[in-house]
Amino acid sequence: MLARVANNLFWMGRYIERSEHLARFLNVNYFSSLDAPDELSQSRQFVLRSVMYMSANEIIDSDITLKEESVLFNVGLNLEEHYSIVSTFINAHENARSSRDLISTELFECINKINHNLKRYPIEKFVKSGLYEFTSMVTQSSSEVRSKIKSTLLHDEVYAVIMLGVNLERAIQVSRIINSKLSDVAASKEINGNETDGNYQWSTLLKCVSTYDMMRRFYKKAPARKNTLEFIILNEECPRSIKSCLSQIYKYICIISKNREVSTDSAAFLIGKMKAEFEYKLITDIDDNLEDFISNLIDQLILIAEKLEDNYFNISDAITSSFIEEEKEEV
Amino acid sequence: MKKNTTLPLFSAYELDSRFYDELFKKNNELREVYKTLYNLFGSYSVSEFDRLNKQAKDSFFNLGITFQVYGEKEVKEQIFPFDLFPRIINNKEWTKLEKGVLQRSKALNLFLWDLYHDQKIIKQGIVPEDLIKSSANFLPEMVGLNPSGGIYNHISGTDLIKHSDGEYYVLEDNIRCPSGVSYVVGNRNAVKHALFGVFNQYNAHTVVDYGARLLETMESVKPKGVDAPVCVIITPGVYNSAYYEHSFLAKQMGVVLVEGRDLFVDNGFVYMRTIHGPEKVDVIYRRVDDLFIDPLVFRKDSLLGVPGLFSVYKKGNVTLVNAPGTGVADDKAVYTYMPEIIKYYLDEEPILNNVHTYHCSRKNELSYVLDNIDKLVIKPVDESGGYGISIGNRLTKEEIEIVKKTIKAEPRKYIAQPIMSLSTHPTYIDEDESFDPRHVDLRTFTLLGKDTDFVLKGGLTRVALKKGNLVVNSSQGGGSKDTWVLKK
Repeated sequence: MLARVANNLFWMGRYIERSEHLARFLNVNYFSSLDAPDELSQSRQFVLRSVMYMSANEIIDSDITLKEESVLFNVGLNLEEHYSIVSTFINAHENARSSRDLISTELFECINKINHNLKRYPIEKFVKSGLYEFTSMVTQSSSEVRSKIKSTLLHDEVYAVIMLGVNLERAIQVSRIINSKLSDVAASKEINGNETDGNYQWSTLLKCVSTYDMMRRFYKKAPARKNTLEFIILNEECPRSIKSCLSQIYKYICIISKNREVSTDSAAFLIGKMKAEFEYKLITDIDDNLEDFISNLIDQLILIAEKLEDNYFNISDAITSSFIEEEKEEV
Repeated sequence: MKKNTTLPLFSAYELDSRFYDELFKKNNELREVYKTLYNLFGSYSVSEFDRLNKQAKDSFFNLGITFQVYGEKEVKEQIFPFDLFPRIINNKEWTKLEKGVLQRSKALNLFLWDLYHDQKIIKQGIVPEDLIKSSANFLPEMVGLNPSGGIYNHISGTDLIKHSDGEYYVLEDNIRCPSGVSYVVGNRNAVKHALFGVFNQYNAHTVVDYGARLLETMESVKPKGVDAPVCVIITPGVYNSAYYEHSFLAKQMGVVLVEGRDLFVDNGFVYMRTIHGPEKVDVIYRRVDDLFIDPLVFRKDSLLGVPGLFSVYKKGNVTLVNAPGTGVADDKAVYTYMPEIIKYYLDEEPILNNVHTYHCSRKNELSYVLDNIDKLVIKPVDESGGYGISIGNRLTKEEIEIVKKTIKAEPRKYIAQPIMSLSTHPTYIDEDESFDPRHVDLRTFTLLGKDTDFVLKGGLTRVALKKGNLVVNSSQGGGSKDTWVLKK
């Protein structure tokens, strides 16, 4: 496979996954806040800040009042904001287009149709009444794309590169969602004191990564800090946990690097090492210093992405380097 | 003459006796071969047909068979206009066409070999030396070079029309980078989905085998010493208007679609950059123009090509499909010598008609042209895509004077031909909610390899959507139709 095309497919996987997380985060946070138990969680400004932090990685000064319609527009449909859901999907589409000789007609048609639908979505409708419809459409669409990836492609290197992108992005987005919820919980505590019903933020966190129902089934308990974090960081059976993402990433890097010697500063080595560390990690090991753990985790994942580009996708091309810069800015 | 019909979709069908209509005979009688199709279309209400038509267009849009239009604010995606009424070519007609286009392609190939070697045809005075000397498309770098398998024009696109006498005439041979074959397959799929019922009653040849035959052709001209050749297609990139076709062909053949930046030359061979390092490339189907393939030899500002590629080609370590320098033979001035060229190399009479051509470079012909511009089509010799064409009977007096001036300034640059009457074919016109005759032509696709040849049984019927318009090129607002070649 051409290095340039591998890079495009890797980013196609990443952007598809990213659009789903952005859409679900917006959907869950917005709608669950409407009848949230405490005043802060119900406050528009609080929710909009949280959304901006997640999508644009921007911390908004406390003296600025955000306008709901413009935040929703920017995060959802603004073609001029690189972080908007529609821009993210357009990037996925562009990457698919430049490698369409390698992917199936079914997969390309699926991505192409979604791209048309998102671009056509009326802005008026979105900010007034279409928020739920639009965000649900995006999350459903990305599952549709993943199912085409899984069921219509040859499970070879091409597939491995795409899935590497999907799983790496998933690990990054889940880490960022945890990060953002940790800061929401902290803010909520500052105002409401320890009495606050933390349960609400943890439930939202689980819903943001669509694992709420399964977590309830697994623990048979209401979500609290410890069980929630244990579930989405360390539960191997939960397909969106960090641990599960790492196993997947490891599986796919093995397919790609099969004939290569693994040097200690390569992506393959780093992935193997992280996976091994997660193998025997307990929630009690990280619970005390969770903020640091998560921010370190994000750094490591970004480093893996950079090393992958170095090891496999490097053709020193302008488009690739702009992607790397964007990534560095974001986290 | 308005057709007498109660069928809603043909309510505005108006025959023009000056042209050969492919659906109706002069006496208003339906042509036999179209009866079933006509009855099928006739049974639709306007709204039913609109729905089918929209579905077909949506399928092109969803599949991304589109091109980009760059507006002031945004980039718009558009499909190439497509018409659901297929063009039918009966078996007898096709057999002659197929032999004829193959004959031309073979003659052109021998002509190219001769031009880049001994130039016997010039020495013997069959074609004038001036014709080649003054051609911008003659590449001195190709002189004396022996392309693998002796093939220059592996892929030829021949443009034909059906004149008012009911005969096919060749208008143009395209042997640089003829495009459009992906639409042949795309159009067929769209028609199959919309009109599946009638395929039982028409036994049409398939068109899906083109990719396989193209790959065979490419493999047949592999460099010496290569066992299993690695074939690739090189594209200028996703922003090229034919990018869909490039990716389509790569997918059909299962070969890699590369850009110039994916390839590099090392020690006399071409390699592509893969995730596992360099991999040698043996045959390149290039969809990049001659002058852009290698900045070291041709245009230095080219970012689309591969530095050093031509030196590898010269050594015979890579095959380029088509060979560089083929443009010298599909020049409109060379076209006029095609009957002589065919006779000279193949010792055969030309199977297909050539349109009579006046050379403005010849004094007596020039004066005829200048006196009869209103009866002629004036074409620049070296433009493609329908640019720079003047159709005499459409010009005002002032415009005729301007054309005369332009020709007099550089007579070598122009040829003139009688205005050919392109046949008309039923084409759905949205505004009229009815089919109406529109002018069509036909592009066929011929492959030449080492000891192998193939003509795609079908082709691209291009249609001029504007009433009365004779220029069918997509860059001039033309659309296309599915083309059925019948098995018997």
